[in-house]
Amino acid sequence: MAEKIYKGGEFLVAEVTCDEVFTPEEFTDEQKQIAETTEQFVENEILPHLDAIEAQNFDLVVEGMRKCGDLGLLMIDTPEEYGGLELDKATSMLVGEKIAPAGSFSVAYAAHTGLGTLPLVYYGTEPQKQQYLPKLVSGEWVAAYCLTEPDSGSDAMNARATATLSEDGQHYLLNGTKQFITNGGFAKLFIIFAKIDKEHFSAFLVEKDFAGLVVGAEEKKMGIKGSSTTQIILDNCKVPVENLLGDIGKGHKIAFNVLNVGRFKLAACVTGAAKAALLVGVKYANERKQFGQPISQFGAIQEKVADLTADLFASESLVYRLAGLLDTKLATIDKGIDNYYVEYQKGIEEYAAECAISKVFCSDVLARVVDEVVQIHGGYGFVSEYPAERFYRDERINRIFEGTNEINRLLIPGIILRKSMKGELPLQAEAMKAFESLMTPSFEELDDTLAFAAEKALLQNLKTLFLILAGTAVQKHMTALANEQEILLAAADIAIQIFAIESAVLRAEKACRSASEKKKQWLEAAVKVFAFNATEIAGTAAKKGAFYVEEGDPLLMILSGVRRFAKYDATGLLQAKRLLAHAVCEEEKYLF
Amino acid sequence: MESKFKVNTEGKWYDNVDLAWRMNEYDEFAVEQAVQVKDQVGEADVTVLSIGIDKVKETMKKALAMGCDRGVHVNDDASYAKDPFEIASIIAAFARDKGFDLIFTGMQSQDRGSAQVGVLVAEMLGLPSVSTIVDFAFDNGQITAKRELEGGLRAIIKTQAPALLTCQLGLNTPRYPTLPNIMKAKKKELLTLEVATLLQDGARQETVKMYVPEKKGGGLVLEGDVGAIADQLVQILKEKTGVLA
Repeated sequence: MAEKIYKGGEFLVAEVTCDEVFTPEEFTDEQKQIAETTEQFVENEILPHLDAIEAQNFDLVVEGMRKCGDLGLLMIDTPEEYGGLELDKATSMLVGEKIAPAGSFSVAYAAHTGLGTLPLVYYGTEPQKQQYLPKLVSGEWVAAYCLTEPDSGSDAMNARATATLSEDGQHYLLNGTKQFITNGGFAKLFIIFAKIDKEHFSAFLVEKDFAGLVVGAEEKKMGIKGSSTTQIILDNCKVPVENLLGDIGKGHKIAFNVLNVGRFKLAACVTGAAKAALLVGVKYANERKQFGQPISQFGAIQEKVADLTADLFASESLVYRLAGLLDTKLATIDKGIDNYYVEYQKGIEEYAAECAISKVFCSDVLARVVDEVVQIHGGYGFVSEYPAERFYRDERINRIFEGTNEINRLLIPGIILRKSMKGELPLQAEAMKAFESLMTPSFEELDDTLAFAAEKALLQNLKTLFLILAGTAVQKHMTALANEQEILLAAADIAIQIFAIESAVLRAEKACRSASEKKKQWLEAAVKVFAFNATEIAGTAAKKGAFYVEEGDPLLMILSGVRRFAKYDATGLLQAKRLLAHAVCEEEKYLF
Repeated sequence: MESKFKVNTEGKWYDNVDLAWRMNEYDEFAVEQAVQVKDQVGEADVTVLSIGIDKVKETMKKALAMGCDRGVHVNDDASYAKDPFEIASIIAAFARDKGFDLIFTGMQSQDRGSAQVGVLVAEMLGLPSVSTIVDFAFDNGQITAKRELEGGLRAIIKTQAPALLTCQLGLNTPRYPTLPNIMKAKKKELLTLEVATLLQDGARQETVKMYVPEKKGGGLVLEGDVGAIADQLVQILKEKTGVLA
């Protein structure tokens, strides 16, 4: 594991080495076993019931959650004194990844273990934890997180739900409506956000049986139909004062901090879903014959398989690199201190930009995967008899919940610039250097003896490009940059691709050291395919950003920078794609 | 599946580069049965033993997480090249003075599939053995086991501990280890012994060659109108066989 502790966002200005990143190749025997138990659980206990779950037989979901409890799958993030195991984030993400093929069930699982349980772990008082955590860890109770309202989604602070202290001072009376509540139909514990006296945004632990809590009708959804999504209506809901969670007026901390966790967990889940979907596509391509041969033998299909495999490799590399960043940071916090969870929150918040990146990048990868898996199925991808259709529908929500991908993309440059202003990242100094390099011609030559030399040079160049664009944008708009969303989105897209390419390259470099010759070739191919695709995306974003932010000669200058820095020599790209596609189709599994 | 297995350069075993390692399925039934007996009688101590390279410890940890109390890893880089007699003699050498009441083994390994090791161990230790069990009951040292015979027949065998039983598919459903047990297993004893300290006997068999069987021609299914099929068939018989000559 990494020794140096990188700051959040530092990847944009630092030269990270492969010894400093955590990779899936380093999972412990225990982590591998936990993954295997999760896989077996999904295969034996959930997949056989998937049709019934999709038909909203929620008893099966509740029963499945109990079984998760029996196996210890709900213990991962909870401390031992409340019946948990408190394992690291890498394990938590690995389980998320492995549970994802359970479709709608995995949504219930993620909502319960993430947003449903963590506020209590992080902010609960001792009696609150004693009272509720054991029930959540055993799966006896399912939890739900209630932030969104009919009129406040991304704008969560604008909530209308209110809490008023009763005359005897014993209860808060909650009023309002919460919207799109995952697990709403069968949850027994609700984390509900409301404003005390219409002003102080706060969180409450609300039991289903508290008078005045009404569960609305099930929403009719496009996908994840087997998950429960309802309104929660609060009609003078009587909540004992001791069920206030955290401090009065500090609800936003709870709401947003757990969202960071929710985001990287979602990144892990969608990576697992994408792996499962791709496998279905590959198996179909091997079975389906047209023109006398399996369609997997045609270049048109192979290119898809190769591109998606490379995307998935990046997605997985990114997820566990982030897990490593978080675990390394969190391991430095002394568990004995009183404000452990305050420090813990800060530790996670440090990587808020990376959490947002993981959410956006990995959910976008899943979107590409399910789209192409439908395409591989042809007409059969469009009928619900085949799973491709469900994958396609189920995917869509991932780009909406846990903060839409737009909100998350806006967060990324916002967080990074804020860190720069606070002096935590030397963005300004580095941007100056980047501008200088724009003025000076480059005579650098690649040292071919170094592993992945071309990709590392590419990364340096893309970082320079990001700094040029971000620097220009800051100079032009100063504090008003927050209003220039199109520019921020473009900057985010470059940062996302940089983090993804770097994660893939560093992992491949590390893995190559002990890989067989065959695997080495696969790794190199995956890196090549991904680096090419990602550079194109980053280059387009940079060009777009340049047009948005500049004009005249300065614009031409930046555009020349785009041409120079968003450049990757992908010689052998076709061979790399074919190699990957052949291997995936022959093995019928995810290669890495 | 077969295509993924390649014969190694020696020509006597398969190439295990990049293969995922798992517990032998029949051994998993054996582990489960041992743990079930422990659950039943309360006080028991279950040892799991595996012979092979360092990597088998990963698999042994699963057995520990399923409920075995301790593990013995017999370190051997060339276990794959050993014949059933040698493997059995290693196990017997370890078990001889341990006084185990029950020894469960897989009915056979999924790779070599000789189905000899379990019964050989019993013979070497002078224990009664019951092979291919599909049901097992234990009552105060009295063993009642159901065996699977050819043609779907079953036989019920009674014997007394100490005894050795080889486990067949259908005996039980192996549990998957829970997360707390996986973490607890980390602290359980996993002893490594060098194979040289246990191996006292030479091989009785030698694998001369390992190869993928030659592909035989596939069948041909004729489809379509009966009359047309008949014509097609006659044509094929004429061209490719001497039947109508």
